[in-house]
Amino acid sequence: MSSKSPLYALSNVRHGYGREFNLIIPEFYVEQKTSLGLVGPNGCGKSTLLRILSFLEMPNTGEISFLGTKVGADLAELRNQVTLVLQEPYLLKRSVFENVAYGLRIRGERHHLKDRVHEALDWVGLPPKTFAGRHWWELSGGEAQRVSVASRLILRPKVLLLDEPTASVDTHSAALIQKAIIDIRNRFDTTIIIASHDRTWLNSITDSIIRIHNGRIVGAGIENIIPGPWEADTDNLWSKRIGDGNKIYALQPPELNAVAVLHPWDVMIATEEPSSISAQNILRGEIKQLNVARENGRIQIEVQTPGIALTCTVTDRAAQTLSLLPGKKVFVVFKASSLIWQ
Amino acid sequence: MDYITGGFIHAIQLLLAGDPQTFSAIATTLKASTLSIIISLLIGIPLGFILGYLNFPGNRQLRAVVDTLLALPTVVVGLLVYALISRRGPLGELGLLFTIPGISVAQTILVLPIVISLTATAIESLDRRLRTNLLTLGARGKQIAITSLLEARYAVLAAGVTAYGRAISEVGISMMIGGNIKWHTRTITTAIALETGKGQFAMGIALGIVLLAIAFTINGILSTLKRKTA
Repeated sequence: MSSKSPLYALSNVRHGYGREFNLIIPEFYVEQKTSLGLVGPNGCGKSTLLRILSFLEMPNTGEISFLGTKVGADLAELRNQVTLVLQEPYLLKRSVFENVAYGLRIRGERHHLKDRVHEALDWVGLPPKTFAGRHWWELSGGEAQRVSVASRLILRPKVLLLDEPTASVDTHSAALIQKAIIDIRNRFDTTIIIASHDRTWLNSITDSIIRIHNGRIVGAGIENIIPGPWEADTDNLWSKRIGDGNKIYALQPPELNAVAVLHPWDVMIATEEPSSISAQNILRGEIKQLNVARENGRIQIEVQTPGIALTCTVTDRAAQTLSLLPGKKVFVVFKASSLIWQ
Repeated sequence: MDYITGGFIHAIQLLLAGDPQTFSAIATTLKASTLSIIISLLIGIPLGFILGYLNFPGNRQLRAVVDTLLALPTVVVGLLVYALISRRGPLGELGLLFTIPGISVAQTILVLPIVISLTATAIESLDRRLRTNLLTLGARGKQIAITSLLEARYAVLAAGVTAYGRAISEVGISMMIGGNIKWHTRTITTAIALETGKGQFAMGIALGIVLLAIAFTINGILSTLKRKTA
């Protein structure tokens, strides 16, 4: 093993559960001590990739190297360094203490067990005095997920993978999970890989984001990915139907199922419906989240339009002038030519 | 109706006075059934676990055989065991006929399919996320198997309690293998059958009350375990 080797190196990986491959990755690297986000719609292959990265499964074909060493048949040893937080937490039918202590017990590490369990519970905002003795059925969904996170953090893994960790928890638990993830990374240089469909949340916690669509890595960053199918429309334009009878217009695609990229800076926000404007795409929506973009300090806004969430960036001044806050009804505007084919 | 009411009153008097004959039948029942349940749990839980946890060739066929044996009539078990342990039988030298251990052996054969089948079902019914969860925490083969059995502990205990209920209430085996010998192999159920035949309702009702009390206790335990399994 070399400290300079990438943590993961995937080459010509293909994996699937039926006749078709759900995941096709020609080449993919993850550097050590990074924090990476995987974003994409449901069923795009994020969870499959996480199962491969957590050594729960080996791909049907292709190679994986971990810290410069080719991964072979003995996955059990590797799973001691890598752990995965599942989307839906599963707690053992035991107390919270025993759930968090389980990983250490099976490794035979009983030294200062009580202190370490209490420390891990503190990391996820569960006061040990109140929660350590509770049974598995005495927890809310958010608390159960935090216990699940604590039972992984206590292992101080080299890699912490999280599959939609905040998808089914309350905002308070989501914030505490986010804090715990940042803390463990700062304390132990843990590499973090998080799959989520919430780009804004991912952007606030990870160094970089890759996009997955139909089992393929289609890009990096916070671009909007708009998949097909596309159909011919009027004025030499092509359109994709989204929800409530709305359409997204684009120039002619290379193929009917082509994937288009829409950069956030090409999307404008209006508080009233624009009337005299050349842009073809005017969609009504509601602001879901605001976040300060890491790269340039601009405000990154996620707007939920019928059938698709779009990310756009505006200046701090524009956000203040237009009073852009979560819940506000707005219009997103972009030109058909702004959609770039992958 | 008077003889029934009288029977009830006399039954309470027998229980309160600690009638030796009544309590001898209760003790015999508890001894035979407890011994049979201990043996069947020791054999049945590992077999049920293997059947529910491992996927091997013939698993489904074996499961079908075990499930069929759930409906084994007590008199058939009694007949088979009698043939084996009677003086002329291959195991006649063990001297088990008309003894409490003899009853226990036959009851074990009766309840073993219950323990195996319900344990296998308990293991099969475990949440699919359990294995993934344990793998992500670093557990390996034997650790996953033991933790899986512990996760199913309430359902496995419920299997034991169900089997105990079956053993304690059966009459065919106790009658055929035990021989219903007073002070020796007379159980609650054989005593009820005998006393009713003689028209002596008091002792029959007294023993019936005890059997019902045991059944209620078993059901109480079973519902608690089922709640914990849910």
